[in-house]
Amino acid sequence: MKETVKLISAEGFEFVIDREAAMVSQTIRSMLTSPGGFSESKDGVVTFPDISTTVLEKICQYFYWSLQYSRGKETEFHIEPELTLELMMAANYLHT
Amino acid sequence: MTILRSREIPTNQTKPLPNQPDIEPSTPARTQEPNVHNSPDEITLVDESSRRRCLCLNGLTEKEVSGEKVSNSDDKFLSLRSGKRVAKRTVDCYVESDDGFKIESFESELGLNSGNESKRKKVCVVDLVEDKSGASEDFDGDNKIDLRLSLGRSCDGMLADNKNKGKEVVEDLEVICVESYEKPSSSMGRKKYTREEKGKGIQVEEVCAPIVNEIVEDAVEEMEVEKLIENEKPPDVAVTEVVEAEVNVGQTQNQNSNGSGNSSRTQHFRDIAKKNALKFAYFDAQIEDEDDLSDKEGGEQNVEDWPGPFSTAMKIIKDREENVNLFIGSSLFTNRNRKSPINWVPSGNFSAAPRKAPSLKELSLRVLVKNADAITSLDYIPDALRIKLCQLLCDSRRMNVHVFDLLVRGSPTEIRVPDCSWLTEEEFTECFKNCDTSNLTVLQLDHCGRCMPDYVLHSTLARSPKQLPMLSSLSLSGACRLSDVGLQAIVSAAPEITSINLNQCSLLTSSSIYMLSDSLGSVLRELYINECQNMDLKLILSALKKFEKLEVLSLADLPSVRGRFLRGFLTARGKGLKQLILTNSEKLTDSSIKGISENCPNLIVLDLANVCKLTDAALGYLANGCHSLEKLIFCRNSFSDEAVAAFVETASGSLKELSLNNVKKVSHNTALALAKHSDKLQILDLSWCRDMPDNSLGYIVDNCSSLKVLKIFGCTQVTDAFVKGHSNPNLKILGLKMDPFLNNLRKSFTDL
Repeated sequence: MKETVKLISAEGFEFVIDREAAMVSQTIRSMLTSPGGFSESKDGVVTFPDISTTVLEKICQYFYWSLQYSRGKETEFHIEPELTLELMMAANYLHT
Repeated sequence: MTILRSREIPTNQTKPLPNQPDIEPSTPARTQEPNVHNSPDEITLVDESSRRRCLCLNGLTEKEVSGEKVSNSDDKFLSLRSGKRVAKRTVDCYVESDDGFKIESFESELGLNSGNESKRKKVCVVDLVEDKSGASEDFDGDNKIDLRLSLGRSCDGMLADNKNKGKEVVEDLEVICVESYEKPSSSMGRKKYTREEKGKGIQVEEVCAPIVNEIVEDAVEEMEVEKLIENEKPPDVAVTEVVEAEVNVGQTQNQNSNGSGNSSRTQHFRDIAKKNALKFAYFDAQIEDEDDLSDKEGGEQNVEDWPGPFSTAMKIIKDREENVNLFIGSSLFTNRNRKSPINWVPSGNFSAAPRKAPSLKELSLRVLVKNADAITSLDYIPDALRIKLCQLLCDSRRMNVHVFDLLVRGSPTEIRVPDCSWLTEEEFTECFKNCDTSNLTVLQLDHCGRCMPDYVLHSTLARSPKQLPMLSSLSLSGACRLSDVGLQAIVSAAPEITSINLNQCSLLTSSSIYMLSDSLGSVLRELYINECQNMDLKLILSALKKFEKLEVLSLADLPSVRGRFLRGFLTARGKGLKQLILTNSEKLTDSSIKGISENCPNLIVLDLANVCKLTDAALGYLANGCHSLEKLIFCRNSFSDEAVAAFVETASGSLKELSLNNVKKVSHNTALALAKHSDKLQILDLSWCRDMPDNSLGYIVDNCSSLKVLKIFGCTQVTDAFVKGHSNPNLKILGLKMDPFLNNLRKSFTDL
């Protein structure tokens, strides 16, 4: 029923999340919906060789938090300070 | 409230009377106020028990004012048709009564010595006092506005000094509206005021015209004895007429909703007033002290020699207005009473709009700002993120040497610190002396006055002749300790500078500009010299002409910018000019705008905020000359609604940002024009434009499809009907009540 996509980190960890959650990122959205027969749009798998596992995990958590926020449930999203620099750069890359 | 003033004969230009509150009058700018000779008059006291509205009008020189007592205590307030209450104020002394009511004694001023009977001058003072509560007897002095309407009667003896102006100026007669308190016993009337006032808001500018009309019409008609202080002269018929009429007017207003037989009479008065109003409106044009003659003559020419698009548009709009006026008739006098031709119903469904979650980038930046000291390296962070981080740190004043050091480390390409006021000389020297600046393209150290005297430069920025080889953009605004020598040292180390920002560098003189034109004359594209007080503009003109590629010139806050200077520069270099910032250049007139329109066809950004002398003709010139304008800033210019509408219709095809801040007369014509012709408009500033009600704003917002930001600071007339009811999903509204706006201060169309 629910469409899912797989995000793969630099270390090879695979994160399977809802398609709707992944679409929060503009970059992933255009990867998955771009016409042109790219493997990402066909298989629903995106690899990120520059993003580490901990950061990618946090990003997935952010996706779900963002969906929750726009549905009305406004909570706080905590970020560990050690992660912040890398997270910011990844977020910048992912347009999220 | 107690005001004691003595006045003299206006034999020459004098400054305005003291104790005047700082509110600009609605009449055009004038610096001179006719003074009145103090005469040893009897002071009649207001009888506490009887208060009556009292408006005295000294219509003619021959007539005298009678010394009558104000018998009524409800003279204190004259309520106008618009619902405002005009406070009477005597021009002499007030006597406070025991029970706290202010009793004013009214004294009329004499123009000349008492011996010269035919040349008496009377002065009246109109104070417009907003009585917000409507119930308080004491009026709030904060809202007082002095309104002086001088009636045009020349008086030979008195105008001896004014004759050099070549025209008969200065009337010795003015209209005085005297404050009057509302009768405490008439609670019915008071309630009416409260309702009216609350309904009609706090617009004060329009009161002027109604006052004139009412005064005039009253003066002509009624015959009643007015209380005025006068010396040995016989009763002034005109004044008594006025008093009588004024009382009637007051009563009429008081009983406006009663719709008595007064209405037809007031209608009649109004017609008479309109005919005579022009005679009485006084405009003193003696403002300039040492202006160019060319500035004056330029403004008087016609905008166009042939019926061009702008004047055609103006004519169409004016005809439309007149037709509407004729149709509605003269019974609706003020703009606000006129029904706006815009039909707009709120149709938005705002409660359903979901709130967008903050982006992860923003959240991370916030955490970084809080923990800035824990950052160990900024090495692989892209420039855009570094800049954003610096910006946020400076905004929250958490920027410190630690982060600055991180920025400077390595071989940075961009260093942008918008606020260096925390940086000391030692820290600056320490950080920069080992900095590898070979790749530096952008250096922004704004507000660096504290850390940048001349002597640190040789060890930091100007260590060697090729210290800054790639530097293209340098911003040292606020470098108040930097002198010509220091700037020369920097520039000699950076030969490729294309943009230099020297705002508020108060020690720099014209020799800096000469130096810049010698070393950077062939490459410099942007020059910002706002508020460089020591620069003599006459001297830098020839240096400015040497910049071959100059595209951006910013001369804000330099009050000495004159038409001649500007024209000299524009004829030489206007063709390449893209941005021209002339904020606060108060001496410019329409002829300068004509020069701009003729010489700068490629102008994209034009800032004319606070250039108050411009008239509608300036808009005509701009419409005909500058066709590529994308950003246009007006503030406090006195353009008419029709002119702005005509401008928008003819010339706003490429406009992305328009500011009509405090251009108070804009109204429904502008709204219609904006809605129809501004499809590229992204940012619109209509702050303080109170003639734009909800339906006008809604009409604009729903029809300007690209509109993203609407600024309506000070627009007290806006209600939720517009805020919640418009249907533009991308629109951000700034300036309402207590909504936060600090995050959006820097919004320009390049940021969106």
